[in-house]
Amino acid sequence: MTGLQFAAPVDTTPAVPTVPLQDTVLLPERIGELTGLDGFGLGGELLATFIAAFIVGNLMLAMTGVAGPWAKRKITAAFTDRIAVNRLGPAGLFIILADSVRLLSKELVIPENADRPAYDLAPIVVAGSALLGFAVIPMGSGIHLADPEVGLAYVFAVSGIASLGLVMAGYSSANKYSMLGGLRAVAQNIAYEIPLVITGMSVVIFAGTLQLGEIVAAQHETLVEIAGISIPTWYAFVNPFAFVLFLVANFAEVGRNPFDTPEAPTEIVAGYQTEYSSVYFVLIYLGEFLHIFLGGAIIATIFLGGPAGPGPAALGIVWFIIKIWGVFFATQWLRSAVPRVRIDQLIEIGWKGLLVLSFANLVLTAVIVGLIA
Amino acid sequence: MSTGLERQPAVEVTEDELEAIVGDRALARDDHLNAPGFVIRPDDVQDVLKDLRDEAGFDHLANLTAQEYPDRYESIYHLRKYADPTQEVSVVVPTTTDEPVSQTAEPVFRTADWHEREAFDLVGIDYEGHPDPRRILLPETWQGHPLSRDYDQEKPQLVTLTEHANPIQPDHHDDESDTMFLNIGPHHPATHGVLHIETVLDGETVVDVDPDIGYLHRCEEQMCQQGTYRHQIMPYPDRWDYVSAGLLNEWAYARVAEDLADIDVPEYAQVIRTMGAELSRIASHMLALATFALDVYGDFTAIFQYGMRDREVVQDILEDLTGQRLMFNYFRLGGVAWDLPEPREEFIEKTRDFLDGLPAKVDEYNDLLTANEIFQIRTHDTGILEPEVAKQYGCTGPVARGSGIDYDLRRDDPYGYYDNLEWDVVTEDGCDNYSRVLVRMQEVEESAKIIEQCLDLLEDWPEDERTVQSNVPRTLKPDADTEIYRAVEGAKGELGIYIRADGTDKPGRFKIRSPCFHNLSALPEMAEGEYIPDMIASLGSLDIVLGEVDR
Repeated sequence: MTGLQFAAPVDTTPAVPTVPLQDTVLLPERIGELTGLDGFGLGGELLATFIAAFIVGNLMLAMTGVAGPWAKRKITAAFTDRIAVNRLGPAGLFIILADSVRLLSKELVIPENADRPAYDLAPIVVAGSALLGFAVIPMGSGIHLADPEVGLAYVFAVSGIASLGLVMAGYSSANKYSMLGGLRAVAQNIAYEIPLVITGMSVVIFAGTLQLGEIVAAQHETLVEIAGISIPTWYAFVNPFAFVLFLVANFAEVGRNPFDTPEAPTEIVAGYQTEYSSVYFVLIYLGEFLHIFLGGAIIATIFLGGPAGPGPAALGIVWFIIKIWGVFFATQWLRSAVPRVRIDQLIEIGWKGLLVLSFANLVLTAVIVGLIA
Repeated sequence: MSTGLERQPAVEVTEDELEAIVGDRALARDDHLNAPGFVIRPDDVQDVLKDLRDEAGFDHLANLTAQEYPDRYESIYHLRKYADPTQEVSVVVPTTTDEPVSQTAEPVFRTADWHEREAFDLVGIDYEGHPDPRRILLPETWQGHPLSRDYDQEKPQLVTLTEHANPIQPDHHDDESDTMFLNIGPHHPATHGVLHIETVLDGETVVDVDPDIGYLHRCEEQMCQQGTYRHQIMPYPDRWDYVSAGLLNEWAYARVAEDLADIDVPEYAQVIRTMGAELSRIASHMLALATFALDVYGDFTAIFQYGMRDREVVQDILEDLTGQRLMFNYFRLGGVAWDLPEPREEFIEKTRDFLDGLPAKVDEYNDLLTANEIFQIRTHDTGILEPEVAKQYGCTGPVARGSGIDYDLRRDDPYGYYDNLEWDVVTEDGCDNYSRVLVRMQEVEESAKIIEQCLDLLEDWPEDERTVQSNVPRTLKPDADTEIYRAVEGAKGELGIYIRADGTDKPGRFKIRSPCFHNLSALPEMAEGEYIPDMIASLGSLDIVLGEVDR
């Protein structure tokens, strides 16, 4: 591995700034302080952590709640010359309530030959794996649950668990379409997880750390200044090639168009989620949106400067959410405009195209960083 | 437009030559209004058809009609030439009532496979040597043959699930070959209606395809046999290909009935018919493009919605013209129901506006669809249908023209006002899904040209010569035992009707030749060995409407 030889001097590179991070105080600690829970030892700490996780989790779930029943419809409608939901509330926003009631009140039909408890666990695994990922994402405005040194590796690891959930769903449903969908999902995730991680590594070479807080901090410098507007050292600007690679691999990883083969409604009905109804369906659907948002969060963090943006640092979370929604918007744009590739073509693009390109990118980055250092 | 494939002029075969070819095997002559007919023995079928195909060039088995007379069963093979469909010949094969066994024609024309299954299913003729003698439209456990004379309609049909092939049967897993049996449909997002495709998969590869049809069988032929020629049959054709191709279907009946009863149509009505039919074709092709995009794109994408949006405009124009959105019932024997809506100028203006905006829309489609790189890698070289194979299956319409077969009844067997207008037949010789899309896309433009010219004619037509209907007797009773087969170029291909008059005011036998039926039967040729997504794309590119397949 040529990349690793060049990676060694990175640790001492002066390119990494030593400015204090804006999230030096993590959210659980701050809550502990504010509520006085930190005085109660381990129990208090745990409670504070739980409250913090509750806030972040609900923030993400609320976002998917807006995205699923409302934003997705509105965005697609805008692309296809339609109006979409507009009857309930301003701009049809209350459809979110109506849809939640509708989805929750549906009958839960469980196939006779379903392999339980795998069938019941799959939706939780899918949704849960995405939620876990948000634990280490620095969202700005002090919303940051934990900042372990292996943050980036952790994010990739937990979002990878989703594949397990998809296989469980596909295999345990006792339906051939689900089976095909589950198999496609695994084939696809394996093919695209590697380019995704490799491309992520090129950022690590730049930043010299896996810690997400540090990676964000490393993007605060000014790259160039054009007509008074300073372009920050966001890795999307520093290495646009890696950014595009990561974006593509990410769309495949979360199974969005043009890589939505695991669901492929016109071919295999709904893939691994064919047999899911009611709350289970909601969980899987939710999980998919969470994964889109997690993908967006990773992209925002390692390529778009995390919560960085104009204005006071307190606005960090706003910028961060805007960036996540930007990625979500891109998925919907592609959904409206790009045909789906065939499964064999998808695998081919993954193994023969993206993998090679991502390694090339890694080597190139290592050489450049090595030379500068 | 045309692709280097030059049309080979068909060699004219005179009746004497035909007689020489059939020779002693002809027991008698049984001429139809449209073609000379030869009566042959049931065990000569393959020989005669083969000689007619190879020596006289009748390479298109357009239709097979089966019917029961009081003293015999009869199968009629309607043959024509792809190179010149005005050359026709009928081969009549009578069999006894006691033992209705006839030799199969399947080895000569592959399309006879499905046709003979239908003849067995509905009429009750057995075809000896048929590779797959199952029912095709009705359930396997059906008792009796509904179009035979002694069929008892009152008798309840006991079709239990245990007896019937269970459409959701658990598994056909074959331990040795390691393949998977998969039911696609009857309820599946991509089957365009209620089609059931029994597939055998080897991983993602389709090994075997067997379309199972009949879920939408509505006894259309029987219903037409119970209606009077004059008014009662015309509403039914709208319901065959029900996705806005109604006027094209109505024309199929109008043409055959007018030729049967010798009815003239005023020129003015022919122009209106031509315009209406082409509007229908545009609407139908728009839907075909939109749903094909849906099959390949996999979601309700922009291109699908654009297709529907533009089709809606055509639908509005047709509604202005006929008073209906889908079930037009606008044609009458001897003309059309009424003149253009008043104020005429407004209608013509509206239609012109649509035509003027069309090129921009077609460009938009091309940008989104045919120029899209992913779309191209998805559709190029998939669903290959070689011209020889297409002819074997009797494929017509955009499917045949996408395989380079230059066959369009509007030009080759002219009717209506097409002969007097300037337009081209579009062919592409890629033989793949992409070519079929290109053909439809260009046909929309050709149809627009036709409509444009019709509008010019209609605008300048002298006010006192605007006759929309000729004088047609209140009751039509064509002579007994006149038989005729006539076809028009429907949205999906050659839409033909065979009628045998029995001396009453209702047809004795009414047989519909559905283009979708033929096109769908070629699906296994296109899909086997491909991936599942390509099979779905091939199915979409055939543009079938189950209402017309099952009738």
